[in-house]
Amino acid sequence: MDSVLAGVQLALTWQSIGAVLLGLIAGQLLGAIPGLTATMTVALLIPYTYYLDPWVGIPMLIGMFKGSLFGSSITAILVRTPGTPAAAATVMDGYPLAQQGKGEKACKMALYSSVFGDSFSDIVLIFGASFLAAIALNFGPAEYTLLVAFSLLTMGFVSGAKVWKGLFAMLLGMLLGIIGLDPVTASPRMTMGFLEMEEGIGLIPMLIGFLAVAEVLRQMEYPRKHLATSTVSFSSDPADRRVSWPEFKSCLPVLFKSSSLGTAVGALPGISATVAAFLAYNEAKRSSRHPEKFGKGALEGIAAPESANNAVSGANLIPLMAFGIPGDIAAALILSALLIQGITPGPVVFRDNPEPIFAIFTALLLANLLNLIFGHVLIKVARRVVGVPKRILFPVVLVIAAAGAYAMRGSVFDIQLVFLFGLLGWGLTKMGFPTVPLLIGFILMPILESNLRISMLIAGSVPNPFGYFFARPAFVILLVVMALMLVLVLRRVLKDRQAARAAGLGSG
Amino acid sequence: MLNRLAKSAIALAFSATAALAQSYPSDTITLIVPYSPGGNGDITSRFIADQASDIMGVNFVVENRAGGGAFIGINSCANADPDGYTICFISTSPITVRPHVIEAPYDPMTDLTYLGQFMLSKQPVIVRNDGKYNSIEDVIAFAKENPGQLRWSAAVPRGGPHLATEAMFRAEGAKTTFLPSKGGAVELANLLSGTIDLAVISDYGPALDNGEIKILAETSPGRNPQAPDAPNLGELGYPLELASFFALAAPAGLPDEVIATWDDTLKQITESEQFNTLMERIKAEGAYLNSADFTARVQGDFEAMGEATDEYGLAN
Repeated sequence: MDSVLAGVQLALTWQSIGAVLLGLIAGQLLGAIPGLTATMTVALLIPYTYYLDPWVGIPMLIGMFKGSLFGSSITAILVRTPGTPAAAATVMDGYPLAQQGKGEKACKMALYSSVFGDSFSDIVLIFGASFLAAIALNFGPAEYTLLVAFSLLTMGFVSGAKVWKGLFAMLLGMLLGIIGLDPVTASPRMTMGFLEMEEGIGLIPMLIGFLAVAEVLRQMEYPRKHLATSTVSFSSDPADRRVSWPEFKSCLPVLFKSSSLGTAVGALPGISATVAAFLAYNEAKRSSRHPEKFGKGALEGIAAPESANNAVSGANLIPLMAFGIPGDIAAALILSALLIQGITPGPVVFRDNPEPIFAIFTALLLANLLNLIFGHVLIKVARRVVGVPKRILFPVVLVIAAAGAYAMRGSVFDIQLVFLFGLLGWGLTKMGFPTVPLLIGFILMPILESNLRISMLIAGSVPNPFGYFFARPAFVILLVVMALMLVLVLRRVLKDRQAARAAGLGSG
Repeated sequence: MLNRLAKSAIALAFSATAALAQSYPSDTITLIVPYSPGGNGDITSRFIADQASDIMGVNFVVENRAGGGAFIGINSCANADPDGYTICFISTSPITVRPHVIEAPYDPMTDLTYLGQFMLSKQPVIVRNDGKYNSIEDVIAFAKENPGQLRWSAAVPRGGPHLATEAMFRAEGAKTTFLPSKGGAVELANLLSGTIDLAVISDYGPALDNGEIKILAETSPGRNPQAPDAPNLGELGYPLELASFFALAAPAGLPDEVIATWDDTLKQITESEQFNTLMERIKAEGAYLNSADFTARVQGDFEAMGEATDEYGLAN
């Protein structure tokens, strides 16, 4: 108990609180600029934390990560430009809401969902890190393969558009996702001779092109007069500017489910917040009683990805605290900062010298609270900024999109990719192909491929492959659960189809 | 008054010419890091830039130009003007290893000037600390008795540590299953969960402190200070041990004066207390080599790696 108090005290000095706040505000602003992700900024800052007091440097990094996840949602909602890839799924319902004049409502829902997801996973981290981490270790390549294959399977069916169009978009995304070095032989594949493509197509140029640039192109189709209006008009009806308690309450089941999903994903090393956001969105839509509202401005469509992507950030610290293994780049950066300060996270530090761990927990919770307060300020600022006419805003978005793509790895090639994907995204939308399955296919394909091929290598290395896989409890449980869910999904698809036929609206 | 003005004008003119002829460095230096921000390479590069800026009295701009397994960033450095104002961070893999396996856009032997080495990272062979394997002999014995059943991985596929370990297995005639990696953190999780039995990674520090893993051997020259009893692969009589260096390079044809300045600067930095604390904390070994010695090492390693890829069939 003494060490808990000592830890809390470490993180509750005015310097630490100031550092969290500074990091948070910087994170919110940087997060809102595509390409300038918190990960990158934090990476640039890490060498300097060497000179700082640990309880200034580390709380600042924590604040920055939390702030950026929310900041990136604002631009996703208001101008269809996710500041970081993790907010890409928020575009699906956030942008339609903003177009209906309910931008403030959408941003506030994103804020509450972010803070909810953050707090949920932080509490799980504090009380259940070692337990969850031990479960996560049961997930090997075979289990990852099952999870991802299942997500892709259900995706095609719930994309909303005609099934073949959804599947086509998903397969196209998967095709784009396999460009790069072959995960087993490490030889270049489908790179068309471009050295820049050896590490695959960057997620950031892809997302910015597909979402932001495609939208600017779409807007350019309208007559000139239209461009003098501002992109996002804000309704003055108070009901459209806030999230009412009944609205929030109706999102609670989705919030709990998505936060749990995000926490689970975060506890598994190697799966990103972007993946969690899309999976949560997909699951919320699948289990919703009115899936047709998704993509047209459903609040649950914001609650799901926003709570899930934030839940990942806290849960990424689970393997770090339990084993000293960073769950993703953000956790790896926090690990670097801790190591530079001479603190090695893991069970030993928990047992012998837990003050720093409790100080980190305190900083996490503090950052959530401050995020909630200062998020409102950011929403007010953003409202002003996007109030400018389209003919000014859109060129600015294009420039920022190009600069953001360049900033990631200093590559002009990535700028060209942004515009290429912009054209592709615009064209596909025109022909009625849904965007979500394409993005999910692109994000999940590399995970699916490498895990499937590694599973095959494992199968070849054991005398009895079936015995090996079916002796894994996690594998068997996953297989059963997924078979059941697949039956449910298929039954629903058939039922919808019969209903449609009965109503004389036979769909393809 | 006029006199004074004239004097100061003359003084100004002189100082201007002096600045032009002034010795290196007199302008901002760009340090290209061929990796994304965040890894140890990036962190140490920024630290070096910061310290060198204090010593040399000029500004440094650190540019991350990642992609193509570091080929892109190093290539842009190789093609810059050899004036000492564009330099780059390099590590083992894109210089002495991968050019033998995949065609590189530059020739590591002719297109770069090697400024000096500042760090060696240790790349140990690690196993779970559960008593199953206590030495390399145990591992080899298991692999020979059960062909293909020993699963292992290395953080950088086809990097130096991977190839050194692979050469060890091939020299013993042991058949193993190599699982391609998704980076050190994931491999550590795979090791702890039993997906693999052996790993060769550099970011093992926290797991070692937590008593989860054990070091059996070291794949780079010299022993690992974290496990002084574990031999290195050379001592065990295996064909390859490759230094995993962190170093600086510049375009070929750099003036001698610039090389001498960097020899001094890197020496000063690596002798500083701050540098050594940083090395200790990231569990790396500060190891200074001047331009001449480091160039000799690169040439030696490059040739050894070339022979090994041919002899053991390690190329694709």
